[in-house]
Amino acid sequence: MSSRRARSRQSTSSSRITDEQINDLVSKLQAVLPEARIRGAERVSAARVLQETCNYIRSLHREVDDLSERLSELLATTEASSAQAAIIRSLLK
Amino acid sequence: MTISNGDGDSAAKDGRRERKRKRRAEPSLVKWKTEGEQKTYSSKLIEALRRVRRSSATGAASAATDHSRSRAVREAADRALAAAARGRTRWSRAILCGRTLKRRVLPRAGRPKPVGPARAAERSKPPALKTKARVLGRLVPGCRKLPLPSLLEEVSDYIAALEMQIRAMSVIAEALSAVGGAPSPAQTEGPM
Repeated sequence: MSSRRARSRQSTSSSRITDEQINDLVSKLQAVLPEARIRGAERVSAARVLQETCNYIRSLHREVDDLSERLSELLATTEASSAQAAIIRSLLK
Repeated sequence: MTISNGDGDSAAKDGRRERKRKRRAEPSLVKWKTEGEQKTYSSKLIEALRRVRRSSATGAASAATDHSRSRAVREAADRALAAAARGRTRWSRAILCGRTLKRRVLPRAGRPKPVGPARAAERSKPPALKTKARVLGRLVPGCRKLPLPSLLEEVSDYIAALEMQIRAMSVIAEALSAVGGAPSPAQTEGPM
């Protein structure tokens, strides 16, 4: 993929976006991260926020994978009728 | 079942691409936290899980390995999640279009971009941010070549959606494992 050419074209269009806009978006993203709820509104560098976001998304992916594995095992071993009953119960909760 | 989909709406949005519409294009994160959305997603997911279970049962039981089944579950969960987004975000559209981008995520971390001296004036972001943004773009499906502002919007919506997916899947797993554990006397169909 000749992404170098696409990248240089991207930098010319993205230079119009102000740093302030980026910082604003980054701080919004920081509020979504789980660490933000612990640390409060501490000013972290944008690179750090991006790094934390990557780590967080990776951990979320891992959790989804673990849950998928667990669900597939449960699907294989559970009887259909009792599974249906359990599912209906969980939905009505 | 009447399904009202806003596909035409999103197509018109893509065609216009004007700055004035930017505020409307911002997906609301709150919806991923509502119980109603989670319940809707859970029922969609359960339907998909039933299909996975049926397809793995009709084939040879030995052929359907645990890994392929869990991968099928993961894909069904992701597709149901993307459908719940109703086509308003890039990552959801990318998932529904076949997830080819996600499959090609190779461990190519640490590819340094040579910044020429001529481009230094146009550079509005330091290269450290750019590399991290690129890694981030590779983690979210369909967002590899996105400029930073749109990428950050997609990322926050994607994270909220993933959190809901995890909550829903945990609830379903708990319900299923409670069945396999101690069968309560209220259950008349307990095979154990």
